Amino acid sequence: MRRRTYLAGGASVLAGIAVSGFVSRPPSNERLLEAAREYPDAGEGSSNTKTILSGTDHETPLYEIDAPNDGPTAMVFGGVHGDERGGIEAAREISDWRPDAGTLVVVPETNRVAVENNERRGVDGDLNRQFPADREPQSELAAGIWDAVEAHQPDVVLDLHRSLGIYSLHREFVGQAIFHSPDARGERLADRLNEDAVPWYLPFHKFTAGKTSLTGPLLFQHAARELGASAYLFETTEFLLDHSTMVELSRLAAAHVLELHGLLEVGGGA
Amino acid sequence: MTGSSRRAGSDGDRDGRLPVSLRRIATSPATLATFALLVVPFGLGWLETRLFSPLALPGYLIFTIGTAIGNAISPRLDFWVYWVPFLGGTAGIAVVAGFGYEWWCDRRDGGSSERL
Repeated sequence: MRRRTYLAGGASVLAGIAVSGFVSRPPSNERLLEAAREYPDAGEGSSNTKTILSGTDHETPLYEIDAPNDGPTAMVFGGVHGDERGGIEAAREISDWRPDAGTLVVVPETNRVAVENNERRGVDGDLNRQFPADREPQSELAAGIWDAVEAHQPDVVLDLHRSLGIYSLHREFVGQAIFHSPDARGERLADRLNEDAVPWYLPFHKFTAGKTSLTGPLLFQHAARELGASAYLFETTEFLLDHSTMVELSRLAAAHVLELHGLLEVGGGA
Repeated sequence: MTGSSRRAGSDGDRDGRLPVSLRRIATSPATLATFALLVVPFGLGWLETRLFSPLALPGYLIFTIGTAIGNAISPRLDFWVYWVPFLGGTAGIAVVAGFGYEWWCDRRDGGSSERL
C-alpha cells in the first residue's frame, strides 16, 4: 500500500514537472528568427565570402551579406575565444541570415587556431586583450581582424561570448550580461532577451546590461572608441545552461541587435 | 506500515532523546517527498535546460545561492563540486520536514485520543 502511494506520488511529481515546464516555458521569438532566415520581400540581395589573413595560420572566413535596401553595417564575431562554442555555432548560423536592410558581416571563427584547439587563448595569448587604446593592435591576428573591421566601417558590432558563472553573483565571471558602448541599446536588448528566453523560475539567469568605459583593450571597446560603432559584448553562461540553450541565447541576441539597429524588420514589432 | 505500528515506534523512542525515531524520519513520506521535490526537478534541468520547470525553483535557489557563497569563499572550485553540499543540504531540509511532519502526526493522534 505504502509502495503504491510512493509510486503514485513520484508519478505525480514527474507529471507536474512536465506540465508546469511546458505551460510556463518562455515563448522564444520564432517570428524574429524567421525574419532573419528568410529572404526579404524586396529581393535576395547578395552575399560573398572573403578570407581574413589569407595564407597565414590565422586564415579565417568572413561572410558579407548585402541586403537589397540601404541601411547600417553590422559585424558579428564568434570565436574570439576559441572554447566558447555557443557563440561560434550561432555565428556560423548567422552567416546564412538575410537582413532586410544594410550589410551584415559575420566572422564565426575569429581566432581560428584557438577554435581548432578548443582553447580560450590562441598562439599570441588572449585576442580580446589585444586592442589597447591609442595603440596598434598587439598581434598579427589582432591587426588582421582590425583591418577587416576598418574596411567595413561597421555602425554596429556584436561580439559573442560565454562565461562559466553569472555576473555579479559569481566573482570573476560575467555570464548573462551585456556590456555595451554608451550609445548602444543594451538595456533594451537585455529586456527583450529576458522576455523571450529566460523563464521566471530561473531568476538569477536574467540578463543585465552595463555600459563599458571604452578605455579597455577589448575588440568591441576598440570598435566603439575608434569608429564610433554601437558595440556590444554579449555573455551567456555555462552555469546550468546546456550548449543548445547557449546557442539559442546567442542567436536571439544577434537577431535582436540587428532588429534594434534597423537591419531586420519584423511586422508588428519584435 | 500501519498507523498503530508507527505510534508504537514513536512511543518506544520517547524513552530516548528523540521524540521520533531516525528510521521513521528517514522513511517518512514528508522526508522523501521534500527531498524528491528539491532534487529531481532541479536535477532534470541540470541535465537538460529545457527540462527546467517552476518545480525546480527551490532546488535552483538553494544550488545557485550555495555556489555564490562558495565562490566568494573559494573562487577556484568548479561548480559541479557544489552538488555534494547541495545533496547534503537538501537531505537536511528533508529530514527537518520529515521530523516536523511525524511530530505533528504524533501530536494530532495524541490530541484525538484525549478528546475521545
